[in-house]
Amino acid sequence: MMAMSEKFSLEFNLKAGENNFMSKNNKAFVGWIKSAPGITISGSIILAVFATIYSGPYILVNVIITGGMLALVATGLTLILGVLNIAMFAHGEYFMIGSLTAYYVFTPISNYVNENPDSILAITGPLIAIALSMISGAIAGVISEKIVFGPLRRRSTDNWVMNSFLLTVGLSVLLINLHQLIFGADFKGIVRYWGGMPTEIAGVFISRDRIMAFIISAFIVLVFWLFMTYTRTGRAIRAVSQDVTGAQIVGINIENIVLLTIALSCALSGVAGGSLLFMYPSYPTMGLEPLYMAWFVVILSGLGNILGAVVGAFMVALLKVMTVEYVGAGWDFVVPSILIMMVLIFKPSGIFGSEVRGVLDK
Amino acid sequence: MLLEVKELDAGYGYLQILRKVCLTIDKGEYVCIVGPNGAGKSTTMKAISGLIKPMGGKIIFNGEDITGLPAYEITQKGIAFVSEEMNLFVNMTVQENLLMGAYIIRDKKIQRDRLDFIFDLFPRLAERKKQLAGTMSGGERKMLAIGRGMMSNPTLMLVDEPSFGLAPQLTENVFQSLDVLAKSGVTIMLVEQNVTKTLSVTNRGYVLENGKIGLAGKSSDLANDGYVRKVFLGV
Ligand SMILES: Nc1ncnc2c1ncn2[C@@H]1O[C@H](COP(=O)(O)OP(=O)(O)O)[C@@H](O)[C@H]1O
Ligand SMILES: [Mg+2]
Repeated sequence: MMAMSEKFSLEFNLKAGENNFMSKNNKAFVGWIKSAPGITISGSIILAVFATIYSGPYILVNVIITGGMLALVATGLTLILGVLNIAMFAHGEYFMIGSLTAYYVFTPISNYVNENPDSILAITGPLIAIALSMISGAIAGVISEKIVFGPLRRRSTDNWVMNSFLLTVGLSVLLINLHQLIFGADFKGIVRYWGGMPTEIAGVFISRDRIMAFIISAFIVLVFWLFMTYTRTGRAIRAVSQDVTGAQIVGINIENIVLLTIALSCALSGVAGGSLLFMYPSYPTMGLEPLYMAWFVVILSGLGNILGAVVGAFMVALLKVMTVEYVGAGWDFVVPSILIMMVLIFKPSGIFGSEVRGVLDK
Repeated sequence: MLLEVKELDAGYGYLQILRKVCLTIDKGEYVCIVGPNGAGKSTTMKAISGLIKPMGGKIIFNGEDITGLPAYEITQKGIAFVSEEMNLFVNMTVQENLLMGAYIIRDKKIQRDRLDFIFDLFPRLAERKKQLAGTMSGGERKMLAIGRGMMSNPTLMLVDEPSFGLAPQLTENVFQSLDVLAKSGVTIMLVEQNVTKTLSVTNRGYVLENGKIGLAGKSSDLANDGYVRKVFLGV
């Protein structure tokens, strides 16, 4: 995390110097804005360290778990925004679908393990449930593309940003109500995935499930980042998000990339829901909170900026956890919202700039 | 015949721009299309490269009917399009942009060979290979766009207004590099505003006006044609 943040501030400081829209007497202010990534990242780290010393390391644990989950949801959101040009407001529902899948897969496994405690399923069972939550997210994404977004795109791309946005809102309502209709509105949760004694790390006891949840999200984000940076297909996805015509010219089949992107993004959201089932039980509107939080991350880090979204996820998580700790539990939406409004007013391209600047202007 | 365009109709939505455009290119030729602004030169190239679907007519490439194929398939068949807007990937480095140009080549070794070839041709790109494409100057971007088009080792290159917006010195550079390509056996179709220069370097030319081919012939003949001299060269 530290090393990565440093790399960011370097990279993005190099790119600064393009915000000349402010008047001269604001020079000092502009100077501060220009190093926004550096200031925010180092500020966040200092804040995290102080909170940890002051209130105890559990703060850090909560930030890391929440941040890992947010990173999964937000990178998917940012990817869909960049490649499909869709402001996605149904993304939380893939999170819900993932947790629902994990619940229905894990419950029978858990019953079986209770009767046969020595079964290998005690260890692999949760992994199976989490893997299937990822797959169900991907499938739900593909279905949405095939019956909702694809048909709209082929019919007309006039006013695309608005129309597709409205479609995602409709899709969200539809999926929430389908859940309620078929599975009911009650909480569908589990007590634990792995169980066992909590592990002690640097004086704090952390449950195995939390450690695994973090390992899973860190692993997936890392693999995803390597995929986007170094593989032919990952590069093709970035190419489409930067210039669709250019991508067609070099021989990329756009339809394939679009389908892959939506499958990947929804899989990331689904696996986040699945791996956190032990903390957040499944119920119809459970996706709204991760959705809003992920949008905070995307706005904070800059639209379409995948690497920035990972760092931004941990910042928003820190903000949320600190707010709950020091301001009060009811405020964890208010404080981030105020911050996001300030970002939109003072640095609309996000703290890390934007990888696909202008995608919404097309 | 490498490319044969037969009675091509094309346009945008319901708006028809091209009317029965016919043209041919033989292997190894260096052909140009000249014409006033808005005549439909770019539209012709977009239709051939598959970015817009023809409304009528046929496009035959290497003896194969490619009319209406999606752009990525046409690229795979060996036609590279260097557009007027360049359509570079602005947040990728120069080298990444070039490698994207070789997207249809899966063999890493061939990719590297192509990259070396382009860096030899444009040493400037080699110096800047780690720089983001979006931060390059206009002339460098043009070179990069042409280089990216070359990366797939195309049989036919469609180049749209490579000198647009460039300083005279850079224009000269761009024409020189196209010359090198033409001499190395690549078939080129060039669209240019700079009519005198274009007619002096190409073998053959077409004059496009209002979506129709008005004149066609050897470039040297066109350069001496009374009508062309009057309308385009102002003499
Ligand atoms: N995307 C588009 N949508 C609608 N009309 C277009 C579009 N692009 C070009 N045109 C129109 O098509 C005509 C021919 O344009 P173009 O082929 O770009 O001309 P040229 O390249 O010869 O200058 C012009 O009248 C232009 O306004
Ligand atoms: Mg043009």
